[in-house]
Amino acid sequence: MRLMRLVPLLLVVLFVWTLNHSFSVSLPAFGKILDPVNGILASAEPLHPDFKKEVRLIGLQQPVHIWMDSALIAHVRATNDHDLYYTQGFLHANFRLWQMDLQTRAAAGRVSEVIGAKALDYDRGIRREGMVWGAQHSLAAMEKDPRTKAMLDAYRDGVNAYIQSLKSAGDGFRLLPLEYKLMGFYPEAWTNLKTALLMKYMARDLSGKTDDIAFTLLRDKLGVQAFDALFPERIKGNQPVIPEGTKFESPSLPPARMPTGAIWAHFGKEEISFWHMKGKNQSPAFAESDAPDPLHEVAVGSNNWAVSGAHTQSGRPILCNDPHLGLNLPSLWFEMQLTAPNINCYGASLPGAPGIVIGFNEKISWGFTNNYRDVKDFYEITSVQPLSVSAGNPVVWQRPAAYRFQGKEVPFEQHIEVIRVRGRADVKDTVLYTLQGPVCFDPGFRKTSLDAEPPGHSLIACTWMAHRGTNELLAVYLLNRAQDYPQFQAAITHFECPAQNIAYADGSGNIALWGQGQFINKWKEQGKFVMRGDDSSTLWGADIPVSENPHVLNPPQGYVISANQQVTDSSYPYWYNGDFSEWRSWLIHEKLKDILGQETSRKLSMEQMMRLQNDTYSKLFEETAHSFVAKSSSAFRDQFSGWNGRLEANSTVATRFQLFWDRLYRDIWQDDFPEKIRYPSTEQTLQILLSDSTSAYYDDLSTPQKESLQDIVKRALRESKDSLKKLGQASETKSLEWYAVKNTGLRHLAKIPAFSYEYLPIGGWSNTINACRGNHGPSWRMIVEMDDWPKAYSIYPGGQSGNPGSPFYSDFIEQWVKGTYHTVQFLRADKMDNPLPYTWTLSP
Amino acid sequence: MRFLFTILLIAIVAGIAECFGPWWVAALVAGLSCYFARMHSGKAFLAGFFGIALLWLIVALWRDIPNGHLLSQKMAMLLFKQPTPALFLMVTVLLGGIVGGLSAWAGAQLRKLA
Repeated sequence: MRLMRLVPLLLVVLFVWTLNHSFSVSLPAFGKILDPVNGILASAEPLHPDFKKEVRLIGLQQPVHIWMDSALIAHVRATNDHDLYYTQGFLHANFRLWQMDLQTRAAAGRVSEVIGAKALDYDRGIRREGMVWGAQHSLAAMEKDPRTKAMLDAYRDGVNAYIQSLKSAGDGFRLLPLEYKLMGFYPEAWTNLKTALLMKYMARDLSGKTDDIAFTLLRDKLGVQAFDALFPERIKGNQPVIPEGTKFESPSLPPARMPTGAIWAHFGKEEISFWHMKGKNQSPAFAESDAPDPLHEVAVGSNNWAVSGAHTQSGRPILCNDPHLGLNLPSLWFEMQLTAPNINCYGASLPGAPGIVIGFNEKISWGFTNNYRDVKDFYEITSVQPLSVSAGNPVVWQRPAAYRFQGKEVPFEQHIEVIRVRGRADVKDTVLYTLQGPVCFDPGFRKTSLDAEPPGHSLIACTWMAHRGTNELLAVYLLNRAQDYPQFQAAITHFECPAQNIAYADGSGNIALWGQGQFINKWKEQGKFVMRGDDSSTLWGADIPVSENPHVLNPPQGYVISANQQVTDSSYPYWYNGDFSEWRSWLIHEKLKDILGQETSRKLSMEQMMRLQNDTYSKLFEETAHSFVAKSSSAFRDQFSGWNGRLEANSTVATRFQLFWDRLYRDIWQDDFPEKIRYPSTEQTLQILLSDSTSAYYDDLSTPQKESLQDIVKRALRESKDSLKKLGQASETKSLEWYAVKNTGLRHLAKIPAFSYEYLPIGGWSNTINACRGNHGPSWRMIVEMDDWPKAYSIYPGGQSGNPGSPFYSDFIEQWVKGTYHTVQFLRADKMDNPLPYTWTLSP
Repeated sequence: MRFLFTILLIAIVAGIAECFGPWWVAALVAGLSCYFARMHSGKAFLAGFFGIALLWLIVALWRDIPNGHLLSQKMAMLLFKQPTPALFLMVTVLLGGIVGGLSAWAGAQLRKLA
């Protein structure tokens, strides 16, 4: 009986053990997290902190001062490069460690380790894309150059010094970033490979999405002529990144000739039912949508432009940049100034990588937009033995040992990927490698978010610039220190992938724009479709010398601009294709010309540039109103005649127009493309609506009668009215204002709603200059005037701290939504006393 | 008097112990205190309950008030879909109390075994 008294003890032990155990990522250890001493509340930061610190760090060579303003923008002042990057690593980790950790796990296909089997398909996809393989190549390239090796090592040591410091309190739990506590895992040591992975993660985001498989299917279905007409390489009226008429040097490489014979892969027509819809839109307005992407608008885009001093109020060039990327919290960027001998640079840094990615120094400024030339191509691989595949789920198949190439049998290389899965045994996945690259699709794995899903059971390998060992970090290192145009040019040579349109302005009055990246001397249409992998003639040829990349310095038009549009006019000597979009380029050109065309007394000001970055005018609407749509429908004219065409946050007309356009677009194309894989671009659709009142595409093939444009417009108006009604009842906000319908939000990386901000009252769409979609938009807005001492404004959606328990987690959001900026405090290197409220002193 | 003293003792010692160890040392402190304090089970439970609840309440408020309830509101949203910071704090304190109370009760029972 006495032993019964042990029962309470056993019960308590069991109870406490349960509370101390995280059963899954969504079921945290409640005892651990609710304990206010070491748990969640230990991450609650004061609203008005005394943000002064003195820290001793083993590994520093000299004392470092960090001056911070009241928004925690850090100005680092070090006496040597080592300490500079060490401190940057320490600061990034201090504010963003969990984010850095998760993003690099995502880049390595290791998400299952922390969130369990639901990420398995994602991880398998990443491994098949050869992400880690590519990162290892880049790591080797970065560690080969002593400058970037030193930079990486110092940065890594700084991050690890911070990780080490987390262990100093209690049992090592208290100081952990909040999300580690909630999700129940621990940080691991930082490595140089992680920085390489992060760079590849960006390369994937910016150069990973292709049309090759979709186009292969579409061309076989439509025939070459119809395909070329609907999916032209060049949109009529495009205004390329490098202004028309710019003289290109004659090419140093002989033109590549299209091989004769069978070079293309064809997927059998009987397989067409396998076609898979993808790219569902995030917005509730289009949640019911069954089109591949109702507005056919690439999510990732950007704007940059630079205006010559001849056209500005100050007489100095102004450079503007707003890269549109995934909108998440913690934000992608961390704003800071890096000062040491031979470097004084300010801008947006990428937590996880050393240096300033977008910004300016005392003499020059630069900004990026994605270039979108196609640098990722696919090959259908012919295995020597016929593939033995048994139907079922999951598909069981026998991996072949060899493939055919040039009439010979070449053995596959097998990479065995071990994926650790939380709460389950490891999963082993074999990825086959060919001389073209990794086999991304095989019968056992066909999922991807980056292209259409190939039908059937083919083996499809991928050659991708991002697989190469490249050293973009060296470009960043040199850019941060460049003092003039030649040094800028030398710096960007190392920026190979992802290819970027890099705008430039300097204090001497120069402006320039480069379509920069490493490209291949391709024969016409090489890599536009899936190619046969059994012949050497389809392999990539020589690299185009970087100096022959399209570029322009001080063009007569007085400005340069890029917004993901076509890169050059047709006089550029090398053939290329890409996933370009024209709308924002047309708008920016128009607005800048408009301002510059006026009297000289009304020259450009920084304020005008701010308004331009936040402009929500829809060129799509303007063109539609000029097209046969308006001409054929008095109902359309009645509905939209008084509208200013702005997709403003509170506009309900904007909602009506966007819904109408969505329906019209779909009603035109869905019967012609029942496979729902890809529709012609909105630009191309508008060309038809502007030029052809009787196009055969207007007819709905699924009905016996023949529809005219008038019928289709009428139908689209009716349908959009219906969806408007449905939306009013269904939407969370019960509002039909544009912001509520499209729902631009900043969502926490772990998709935790309580740490996210939804329904931000901001206008725009990806075809307006202020390109705010549901989950993509201007991730950083910067305006710099290259005066004797640069003047700059900046803002980004988020805040410097990654901690949801900090007031600095979200304090920039309101300004970003309103379109206002903070004034950059770019401090002189010789300034010896801190004009800002906080000082951190790090000493060895 | 001894009851109040035990509560305070548990709160203070558990607070110090938690600075150096994991959260469950609070349970250990409550259990051991009532093992040595020779209390009746019911009283021990209450002493443990109030001891740890008091500690967790004080620490929670000390963290939450300067934070302007920013995090407790988010946590209340996350756990209970209610933007009510007080709810999160109450659950915190209640959990601390239950852990403390049960441990103290177990300690008192163990004492009777000895």
